[in-house]
Amino acid sequence: MYMSSSVNTVKVKYREQWATFARSWYLIDARMQPPGKIATMCAIRLQGKHKPIYHAISDVGDHVVVINTRHIAFSGNKWEQKVYSSHNQYPGGFKQVTAAQLHLKDPKAIMKLAVYGMLPRNLHRRTMMQRLHLFPEDDLPEDILQNLTEELPQPREVPRRLDQYTPEEQEAFPRLWTPPGDYRVK
Amino acid sequence: MAARCVLGSIWTSISGVRCMANSSNISPFQRITISPQLLFFGSVQNRGIRHVVEKKEGKTTVVSEKLAYLKCWFIIAHCFMIEGLTEDVPVGPQPPNPTAQCPIYRWNLQNKYNYTDVLLLSQFIRSDGGMLPRRVTGLCAQEHRKITICVQMAHRAGLLPKHKPPLPEGHIPKKPKPQLNRYLTRWSIDSVKPIYRTGLKWCKKRISVGHPALKDNVQYGKKILYLKH
Repeated sequence: MYMSSSVNTVKVKYREQWATFARSWYLIDARMQPPGKIATMCAIRLQGKHKPIYHAISDVGDHVVVINTRHIAFSGNKWEQKVYSSHNQYPGGFKQVTAAQLHLKDPKAIMKLAVYGMLPRNLHRRTMMQRLHLFPEDDLPEDILQNLTEELPQPREVPRRLDQYTPEEQEAFPRLWTPPGDYRVK
Repeated sequence: MAARCVLGSIWTSISGVRCMANSSNISPFQRITISPQLLFFGSVQNRGIRHVVEKKEGKTTVVSEKLAYLKCWFIIAHCFMIEGLTEDVPVGPQPPNPTAQCPIYRWNLQNKYNYTDVLLLSQFIRSDGGMLPRRVTGLCAQEHRKITICVQMAHRAGLLPKHKPPLPEGHIPKKPKPQLNRYLTRWSIDSVKPIYRTGLKWCKKRISVGHPALKDNVQYGKKILYLKH
């Protein structure tokens, strides 16, 4: 790279411009992740705000592919408490569904609504949503798999379950208390 | 005096064993009155862990109880045999603050554990997921409450899959429950109602995450702990 920039031929300029203005495809795994944090990462990359050449007019957004949207994890009691409302403009057409009900009906809807709410409220929003690709499970079609360039790290550190610790690690952890005389460990 | 203490502990252990023998399934051809006969020799060892082991030899069931802390032999009726086996409990690492009452303070873990520290939490729970009583574990009131809260959150997050209550035999689940991943759930799943009217910005009804009892936990990093989302 150092050698090529010092040479400054026309071919090198073509390559550098292509590398700067190319539209990349990012992959995010949403398993056990909060949908809001995934949505912020998606929105930044769909707008193109992660690039130094960003401008709202110039279309510099990238494609983002989110997999395992069926396995997202909400913190707190949001599955029961968070309500998604919609109105179909008919009288009596106001519907309110909890996050759990919506997720069972459509596993991609929560992710889609989260990203949609984080994008700027202008006409570019619809084109950016077209560049967002959501998949409920791991399986991706061939053409998208070939386009992917980078996988982004997960925002939340997934904790290990008790059976995922090896017996050696469980033995190595010290016992904090000793049971009194004749107490039987159930 | 030491012998009297040891005999006292033997009687308590026998009463425990008798209750256990009564509750266990005694087959019809073994309806024999249980009369304890003791043979005792040896001295008291360090505290250890007590396990009940059942072995079947032909028609008789041999219920042996490993009494790790007493070198004793118990013989209860000719159909039941209780063995006392010595078990050398290895000496583990010593706590940095041995003079404290509560085990959390003994190991200087106050304000440092969370619902993800399953190795710590699993030491205070039963095999079916319930908490052990405070008088047994020796925890102080506040830490017992915090551990209970963390254990509840860990159960709801699915981090303790093996500590489930035993289902009765032939239990058929009516409807398969939806497997929704969650973490830091404060309230029980069935007790929470949806927030249909969240309100305006100045009077928003926030969703509570985590628990205020763990507010004083050490935060490694610049992020503040948000309890209302």
